[in-house]
Amino acid sequence: MTLNPITDIQLWQQMLLYAAPLIIAAMGELLIERSGVLNVAIEGMMLVAAVVCFVVAWELGSALPGIAAAMLASGLMALVLAYYGITLRGSQITVGLGLYVLGIGLSSLIYRVVFGVRLSPPRVATLGPLPIPGLADIPVLGPILFQQNVLVYVALLLVPAVHIFLYATPLGLRIRATGENPRAVDALGLDVARLRYGATAVGGLLIGLGGAYLPLTLTGTFSDNMTAGRGWLALMLVIFGRWQPGWALLGAFLFAYVESFQFKVAMGTKLVPPQFLLMLPYVFAVVVLIRIYSGARAPRALALPYDREARG
Amino acid sequence: MRKRLPPLLLALSVVGLVLAGIAGVPPEAPAQAKKKFAMILPGPIQDADFNALGYVAIQELAKAHGIQVAHSESVAVADAERVAREYITSGHEIIAFHGGQYPTIMKKLAGQFPNVAFIQEGSGRMADAPANAWVIGRKFYQGFYVLGVLGALTTKTGKVGFVGGVRLPDLVATANAINMALRDHNPKASLIYNFIGDFNDPVKSRQTAEAQIAAGADVLLTFVNLGLYGVAEAAKSAPKPVLLTTLYTEKWDTAPKNMAVALVFDFAKPYKEIVGKILRGEKGGYYEMRPGSGMELSAIRNTPPDVANKVRAVFKDVVAGKPLPEITDKAP
Repeated sequence: MTLNPITDIQLWQQMLLYAAPLIIAAMGELLIERSGVLNVAIEGMMLVAAVVCFVVAWELGSALPGIAAAMLASGLMALVLAYYGITLRGSQITVGLGLYVLGIGLSSLIYRVVFGVRLSPPRVATLGPLPIPGLADIPVLGPILFQQNVLVYVALLLVPAVHIFLYATPLGLRIRATGENPRAVDALGLDVARLRYGATAVGGLLIGLGGAYLPLTLTGTFSDNMTAGRGWLALMLVIFGRWQPGWALLGAFLFAYVESFQFKVAMGTKLVPPQFLLMLPYVFAVVVLIRIYSGARAPRALALPYDREARG
Repeated sequence: MRKRLPPLLLALSVVGLVLAGIAGVPPEAPAQAKKKFAMILPGPIQDADFNALGYVAIQELAKAHGIQVAHSESVAVADAERVAREYITSGHEIIAFHGGQYPTIMKKLAGQFPNVAFIQEGSGRMADAPANAWVIGRKFYQGFYVLGVLGALTTKTGKVGFVGGVRLPDLVATANAINMALRDHNPKASLIYNFIGDFNDPVKSRQTAEAQIAAGADVLLTFVNLGLYGVAEAAKSAPKPVLLTTLYTEKWDTAPKNMAVALVFDFAKPYKEIVGKILRGEKGGYYEMRPGSGMELSAIRNTPPDVANKVRAVFKDVVAGKPLPEITDKAP
C-alpha cells in the first residue's frame, strides 16, 4: 500500500472534517479565556451538549433544534462557571473541574433516563456534505474545502469572525482588556463582570456547537464519553495558538492531520504497534505544546477573580 | 456570600463524582434469601450490543432460576477486583465477568473465595482454571471465518477491511480467520485491518473505516460495539457501495443498504445452563460458544443469492464441526 501524505486528497478532507469540532470549541474557549476566565469544564460541556443535541434531534427529527438545545445546555453550564468564578469569585479551576466531572456523569445519565436499554439504538440522520456550487468542482481544492458538511464551513468562518471581533471591534477590545487588566477597564466605567459573563456565555454556546458536531455529523448516535478528550484538546489548542484564533486553527489542522494520517500508517505497515500509532497524535500535541508554551503569554488576569474593592 | 462557596463546591463535586461513578458501584441489595448473582461488564449496557446482551442474559437468568441479579457496567480492569469484592462481601455467591479482560482478577479471587462460583468469558479453555470457575470459551474466529467467506465472495475491488476494537488475542485470531477465508475462497483478495484501541469510539471507527474505504476496501467486517455506528456512517457516505458485517445483534437499520449479515450471539443460553449447573453444585467447568452454540448467522441481505447460499453452507459446515485451518492469535 502506497502512502502519500501530500497528494492524498482524502487525508486532507478527513483533516478538515475532524478538525472542525476542535476549531469550534477552541474558538469558544478562546473568547472565554480572553475575558480572563479559565474554563476547564470544556470536555464536560461538550459531552452534555452532545447528548442534549442527540436527544432533541431524535425527539423532534430535526438537527436545528438539536443544535440550539446543545448550545443552550452548554451556555447554561458556562453561566454556572461564570456565577462561581465571577460573582462568587471562587476558584475557576476548582469549579471548572467540578463541572467537567458533572458533565461526564450527567451526559450518561440523560441518555439512560431517556432511552434505557435497547437492542436497537436510537439514531439521527447525520448532516451530509453540502457542496458549494461553483467551488466544489475546483480541482484538488474543491473536494477538500468545498464538499464538506455545513458545520465545517461554520467552523472555518468562525476563525476570522472571532479574530475580527476581538481585534477590530470596541467590544472585542474591551473583552481583551478585561482579560489583561480588569482594574483599568473598571476605571473606565465599564462593567468587568458583565463583559466576562457575556464572553463566557457566548463561548459556552460555541463549545455547545462543538459538542453537537459529534453526533450530528460523525456518528448519528451518542455514546458515553464520546468526546474522548476533544474538549481538552480544544483547551490545548488555545494555548498552542497563544490565544490567537488563527494559530489555534493551525493547531487543530495539525492535530487532525496527524490523527488521520496514523490510521493510514497503521494500515500500510504492521511493523509499528497500533497502540503506539494511536498515541502518536497526543504525543505530537504534548511535544508541540511544550515547545510553543515557552514564550507564550496568557492574558494577565486569566483565572484571577476580579474584586473591585481589593487593593490593587 | 463567599462563605457559601466551599460547601456548594463540595456538593457539586460530590454530585459529579457520584454520577460519574454510578456505573462502577454495586447497588445495595435488599435482604432476601434468594441466591445472589452479579455480573461485571466492561461497557455501558446502552450499547445495544455486547453489554446489552449481557444485561439481557441476567434478566432472563433471574426469571429462569429465580435468583437475585445485580450488575455493574463500564467497569475498568483496574476497578474490577474492587467491584467483585464488594459483591462477594455483600453475599453474592456467583460472580460473572462478561468480558475477556478480567481472567487474572477472576483467578485471584477464585483462590481466595472457594465458596463463590465464578464465570469468566474468554477465547477458549483456560489451562489453569480454578475448580470454582466456569469458563465460557467464545470462538469468535470460527464465526468470523464465515464472515470472511462472505467478504471473499462479494468484494469487487479485491480488498476486504477489518475494523477491530482492542488488539486482544481474540481479535487477532479473528483477523487471521478472515485472512484464511480470503485465501481459501478468493486468493486474489487481500485484507486491510486496523485495531483502533476502543470498542465504543464511533469517531475513531469512522476515521478508520474511511481510511480503509479510501484504500480500496469495499467490504468491511467489524468487531467493535458502539464503534459500528461510525463505520456505518463511513459506509453510507462512501463514493462507492460498501458492504458491512457486524456481530452480537442485528443492526439492519444502521445502514440498510450496506449491512450484509450479522453474527448474532445469545449469552442467555450459556448463562442459564451454567448457573443451573452451579445451583446443582457443579461449581466449575467449560462451555463453548461457537457457531451453532449461542452464535448464529442472521439473514443475509444486500448480497447475491448464490453468495448468500454459499455463506450459509460454510456456516453449516462449521456448525457441524468441520475443522477449520489452524488459526492462531499471532498477527497476520
